[in-house]
Amino acid sequence: MFARLKSGAVLGIEARLIEVQCDISNGLPAFQIVGLPEKEVSESRERIRSAINNSGLSFPSGRITANLAPADMRKEGVGFDLPIAAAILIASGQLPTPSDEIALIGELALNGEVRGVPGVLPIALEAAAKGLSGIVVSEENAAEAALVSGISVYPVRTLGDLVRFLRKELDIRPFTSDPRRLLEEAPEAIKNDIGEIRGQAQAKRALEVAAAGGHNILMIGPPGAGKSLLARCLPEILPPMAFDEALEVTRIYSIAGLLERGSSLVVRRPFRAPHHTISYAGMVGGGHGLPGPGEISLAHHGVLFLDELPEFDRRVLETLRQPLEDRSILLSRAGVSVRYPASFMLVAAMNPCPCGFLGDPVHPCTCSLRDIQQYRKRLSGPFLDRIDIFIEVPRLPVDDLFSPGKGESSREVRARVTAARRIQWERMKDRSGLFCNAQLDSAGVREYCTLDEEAKSILKRAVARFSLSARAHVRVLRVARTIADLDGEKRIKAAHVAEAIQYRTAAADLGG
Amino acid sequence: MGLSGREAEERACQYLKGLGYEIVARNWRCRSGEIDIVARDGNVLAFVEVKARSGRGYGGPEGAVGPVKQRRLVAAARRFIQQTGAELPARFDVVTFLGESVRLYKDAFRVD
Repeated sequence: MFARLKSGAVLGIEARLIEVQCDISNGLPAFQIVGLPEKEVSESRERIRSAINNSGLSFPSGRITANLAPADMRKEGVGFDLPIAAAILIASGQLPTPSDEIALIGELALNGEVRGVPGVLPIALEAAAKGLSGIVVSEENAAEAALVSGISVYPVRTLGDLVRFLRKELDIRPFTSDPRRLLEEAPEAIKNDIGEIRGQAQAKRALEVAAAGGHNILMIGPPGAGKSLLARCLPEILPPMAFDEALEVTRIYSIAGLLERGSSLVVRRPFRAPHHTISYAGMVGGGHGLPGPGEISLAHHGVLFLDELPEFDRRVLETLRQPLEDRSILLSRAGVSVRYPASFMLVAAMNPCPCGFLGDPVHPCTCSLRDIQQYRKRLSGPFLDRIDIFIEVPRLPVDDLFSPGKGESSREVRARVTAARRIQWERMKDRSGLFCNAQLDSAGVREYCTLDEEAKSILKRAVARFSLSARAHVRVLRVARTIADLDGEKRIKAAHVAEAIQYRTAAADLGG
Repeated sequence: MGLSGREAEERACQYLKGLGYEIVARNWRCRSGEIDIVARDGNVLAFVEVKARSGRGYGGPEGAVGPVKQRRLVAAARRFIQQTGAELPARFDVVTFLGESVRLYKDAFRVD
């Protein structure tokens, strides 16, 4: 007696369909799962046995072998409980073979309840791509699976539900949703409005430029100046996510098991602010078995905020260099390698010196020159090279603190940022993979960053005066391009270059 | 006084017959050990171990089929299948007597 069903397993952000085969043969009672199962898959035997017995069905006698094919791929996770249980029931004649090609995925509780598992979205996408007609999931995973078009999603609460469904005693209506509307109807409410921050006009402007061009930015200022607050406003002045972007982010959160119960699409740009004690694996991804996504991937299409930048382990910071270039990370381990997307904006903040008061007009700094040098040496040149905009965020003067005036709201800033981004998309639409000015290399800068005469002479003088390196020169041009885009100008003018140069001067102290 | 082993086995047979089991062999012995009752329950071959206790002491009758006993039963069952060439899905049952009350544990343990 033999049965086969489809299920799926995630491999990075991709998924593969897995065939669950079950054979019951004569002989002493035994239950084996083969096909490279990890420990949690082998443990499913006890859950499956209890769930079947507690659902008013009988766990068959004899020798049961379940195979997960292809047998050369390591199987992780608890999502195979449901398909293995169903295959056992089919092989023992308690269930008819489903007429359509459907995939099943879910964890079983001992009482037969079906629980949600991570990674349902990529599996549903793969099942749809392979032409399967339906997917059976737990109720809590239904909304997530329904983001995929072209496949019917059947939510089941218990193993008993599944049995009645396959016996056609119970009619389960496919769970449907209109994912595009989810995105459009995403609550417009802005949590951290940049308009609520008093003063700091310069920093706000720098943030706007950074958002408009996708530039990485470093804020330098004393404690309490509002660096974190400013950073938190960034996701909401970035243009709203397109559907494909939202789906990609949701995929990553699905795999990481971070989707809230019953929720479907991630509609807001992610904001990740890991603590500076974060490990290498926590930052770029890893962990035992199949490597999972790290903070840089969880910040995909959003913002990665590193507060107290010099406090981060230097090795951890250095690992960011390559994903900052490639916008993805390849994690290779014995036997497996997975690639996770990691296209994020880096926002970093640091104090000017260990005590935090260097350059403060009121509070004296107590650090020795050596201390300051040591502090700044923790950031390597190549790392600082990835940062386009450096901005000082000074302590707020008393008058600003008590001024009642509100600044521009995030919504107004976002409108300008979105317009500037649109200009960039239009300009670079023939170049695959390029979508913002921050990605321009020197060839791209030569092509797109044309200056007028006055701008040229200002840049020339600045290069001489601040002895800007060739690389710094390219970066000034990139930022100037963004500022010009914000103004809707085709050619870069003197004012644009002048502002861009400003964003470099703070870097000189850091040796960047 | 509780039941003697012999009496318990006799009563277990009656009990199983009442449930529709068909007794195939009793006190089947081999080098590896002994099986109290071999019976057919429909399409399944059941190897039945009978345990009787007069009281709840020493963990009761259920506690008496420990890992060592299980291994011995499995080995004996293997030999039984080999010798008789039985081609059926198999199962291990345990029948317990505690004083006058009888209980059947279907599929009491498995090989894995």
